Amino acid sequence: MSALSARTSTVVALAVTVGLTACDLGEKEVVQVGYRGTSMEQTYDMNRVDAKFSQVAIPAVLPPAGESPPGPLPWQNVQVLNDISVAEFNRTMIAMSTWVAGTGNCAYCHNLANFAADTLPSGEPIYTKIVARRMLQMTRHINSQYSEHVKNTGVTCYTCHVGKPLPNGLWFYASQNDYLRHYLDRDGARVISKTLEPTNNNRSSVKQTEWTYALMISQSKSLGVNCTYCHNTRAFSSWEQAPPARVTAFHGILMMRDVNTNFLASLEPVYPAVRLGPMGDAPKAQCVTCHNGAYKPLYGAQMTKDYPAMWGRSDWNGVPFPGIYGPAAPTDSMGVSADSTAAVPTDTVPAGVRASPSASVTLPAGTAARGGPQR
Amino acid sequence: MLEYQNLFTRVQVRHAPDPGLPVDMGATGARYGKPFLLSLAGRIGDAQIGPIYFGWAGILSLLFGFIAIEIIGLNMWASVGWDPVQFVRQLPWLALEPPPPQFGLRIPPLEQGGWYLMAGFFLTVSILLWWVRTYQRARALGMGTHLPWAFASAIFLYLSFFFQPLLVGSWSEMVPFGVFPHLDWTSAFSIRYGNLYYNPFHALSIVFLYGSAVLFAMHGATILAVARMGGEREIEQITDRGTAAERSMLFWRWTMGFNATMESIHRWAWWFAVLTTFTGGIGILLTGTVVDNWYMWGQKHGLVATYPTQNMITPDQAEFLRGRYQGTSPDSFPRYLAPAAAAVPMMMDSTMAPPDSATADTTVVPVTVPPDAPPPSDDVNDALFSSPRMNR
Repeated sequence: MSALSARTSTVVALAVTVGLTACDLGEKEVVQVGYRGTSMEQTYDMNRVDAKFSQVAIPAVLPPAGESPPGPLPWQNVQVLNDISVAEFNRTMIAMSTWVAGTGNCAYCHNLANFAADTLPSGEPIYTKIVARRMLQMTRHINSQYSEHVKNTGVTCYTCHVGKPLPNGLWFYASQNDYLRHYLDRDGARVISKTLEPTNNNRSSVKQTEWTYALMISQSKSLGVNCTYCHNTRAFSSWEQAPPARVTAFHGILMMRDVNTNFLASLEPVYPAVRLGPMGDAPKAQCVTCHNGAYKPLYGAQMTKDYPAMWGRSDWNGVPFPGIYGPAAPTDSMGVSADSTAAVPTDTVPAGVRASPSASVTLPAGTAARGGPQR
Repeated sequence: MLEYQNLFTRVQVRHAPDPGLPVDMGATGARYGKPFLLSLAGRIGDAQIGPIYFGWAGILSLLFGFIAIEIIGLNMWASVGWDPVQFVRQLPWLALEPPPPQFGLRIPPLEQGGWYLMAGFFLTVSILLWWVRTYQRARALGMGTHLPWAFASAIFLYLSFFFQPLLVGSWSEMVPFGVFPHLDWTSAFSIRYGNLYYNPFHALSIVFLYGSAVLFAMHGATILAVARMGGEREIEQITDRGTAAERSMLFWRWTMGFNATMESIHRWAWWFAVLTTFTGGIGILLTGTVVDNWYMWGQKHGLVATYPTQNMITPDQAEFLRGRYQGTSPDSFPRYLAPAAAAVPMMMDSTMAPPDSATADTTVVPVTVPPDAPPPSDDVNDALFSSPRMNR
């Protein structure tokens, strides 16, 4: 072999070696999440984390709400945000338009001729407004009931919507994402037995394990983490050996199931057909919808503390909110706020809304829902 | 032929093709094809191609194997809507899946695993017939039957993946056909049974597998190293020991005080290879039948190292976090559960676990698409799935 071809071979061999080992030359940060020597760690490529982090844009906080006109609230058809002052209400509406619909685009949800109406001048229902109302109830439900998952950071519309009308990662029934039904109507993801010997309590098959596996991988990708973020992989089912993040994630799964069942899937009668999936089901959320690839949505940016309307309560971390009209009305996740506006003008009732099989959707017609239990 | 020919020589002797040993045409059948020399083949082995023996077992084996591959391939192709481009692009991810769990050991419809069982049957018959062929050929040549029995060990592992589902009573345990799907199955099987690394037969199988690789490297290297002294002519070296055999054995005796012999090294290799699949098959058969959680088996028998607890779990938490098994007969796509009506009690409090799912999962209603709903527009669906993360 000539010297030249020997040198060429060496270069090729080196290139192949480097290429096959998938060398990633970026700066790495390794975070230990478990007992030493057990490889319980998260490895981050700092270049990629920086790139992803720089893509996250947090909208500027709107200036605090000013003085409100005296007197009782003037609203005709406000069903959720009726515990905040007029000024805070308007501020919230402006913020929501930025978060979801594009700045100043009131017409995305409102009849500009009559902001209280749930219908267009043509009498057609404005489904976006009905959905937005339900989403506000959902946001308050999450912030009040799922503090084990959202902690004191909370969520706003922007957490999922990030400035777009349709959040990322919406899913419909399809065979490929069947595993996502754990977030809706398939309960129980556990497949590993709690006993050494086989019993009839656990008949889960390998196939069901693959569903759980797919579910877990989707969470891993949604959060940009690997298995050891939540598990000690020598015993996936052990809580004692798992990092605490797993408990947070477990509450997240419960939250997802609650949110999908009671808020998202049940909006099906409200949506026009173009928004529904191939099997006629409403769009539903999964972990990536809020997390967008980050271990905390928006990398843990504290956004919700500036928007009391998102909490439905009077303080944040012990600091009273400004602009809270009174004690927060209890949020009823059935869809009807405790003191709904007494008089809904009949002309705001859309005629064309399909009858709902589920009373968990607040339709402006409202009579059936209002007959329900008041809490 | 290979006599007096160094394995790594670049000189290929061109000669009239060798017809091989005479065989009894009536008892064993004929050999087919006109033999020819292929220099490319000569670089890695014998340059002569053919003649080949078919025989009834070989012909049927190829036929059944072809049918199995055909069923698998066509099912995979159908799963991408008969799109040839997508078939090629997604081939590593495509699968022919076993029946879903609710069928147990019953015969499912074709599209719900029936095709899978059929393909598995044809593939198994094909493999068994190929074993018959190797046995027959070994006997016909007057050889020992070491080769068929080594192959039988591999078939035993293959059949374990059929007998284990029979023993636990569900086709859904079986291995899907597909490149990544069968790897996912491997992972899922280990997770389902509490980490297969704690299965001692899995450990033994790995010992023999890695041991096979080490023995193969040692033996191959030793013979190549004495090839210049004719070391590759192993049979002659056994019967008429020359300097190659002496040096290679001396090397190991000097290096580690002990050496295999020209003959015994092949017994080592044969047993390591055979025991790899044999112990593996035993490990599979014990899983789900005798032991359901190998991690707990490891704890019981002192295999598991202990290190500090990361989460102190109170009994209340343990109850809340207990998780619920996926159940005995879960539904499968495309059954569709209607959105929960208001009557269903909701989780108002995240500290309250929902009720167990065994009954909840059985309420199935037919799919209802509003009659006035137009077919979903692709544009809108594209917009809904605009996130790059949703694109596979």
